[in-house]
Amino acid sequence: MASDTPKASGQAEPPRLLLVTRSPPYGSSLARSALDTALAAAAFDMAPALLFLDHGVLQLLPQQEGAASETRSHGKVLDSLPLYDIDRIYVDAAALLHFGLQDMPLPAAAEVVDSTGIRALLEGCDHILSF
Amino acid sequence: MILHTLNASPGSTAFDHCLAQVAADDGLLLMGNAVYAALANAPALARLRATGARLHVLEDDARTAGVTPQMSEDVLAIDFDAFVALSEQHARQVAWF
Repeated sequence: MASDTPKASGQAEPPRLLLVTRSPPYGSSLARSALDTALAAAAFDMAPALLFLDHGVLQLLPQQEGAASETRSHGKVLDSLPLYDIDRIYVDAAALLHFGLQDMPLPAAAEVVDSTGIRALLEGCDHILSF
Repeated sequence: MILHTLNASPGSTAFDHCLAQVAADDGLLLMGNAVYAALANAPALARLRATGARLHVLEDDARTAGVTPQMSEDVLAIDFDAFVALSEQHARQVAWF
């Protein structure tokens, strides 16, 4: 599908889209919507970046077992992001501390950012969508 | 003796309100987004311990969230049958969500 998408002419750089996700992976559909949007944006060559803030860092726990609750594993969807060239992932340092997850293994592309770094991300992109 | 079922993430107002009402001879069951409080390094776990209540977590929810591999040994993982048994052992049950 992505290969058939017409590119905007005369634009060397695709617009930079930042998706901010602040919800835990289960209990509502917000976290899933953020990933679905990321995949859709990637299919249109928008090169989205993902920022996991607040409760959003709970989405990154390894070894999630969706089958235990007969739901789809959020972790499995996250693992597929590199296949869609979504390789800019930012993680809220303060939230990791809040949940005692500072030693958790993160996705290879993930970069831990503090409050100043988060501000720089928000300033540096063209569009921001919050989930 | 009250059984508190807590289904709210650490940091939420429901979580704080529940902890404010838990007494030492109560039972506390973590489920849904509360299972993250069972992580061994979670600051929220220290607050749960301080209540003196018996701590349980719904095993299926903990596994779904990926909490089980890093879970504190102070929290007892239980299945739905044990949840029913807990309900029978406590005269009252409060749901926090």
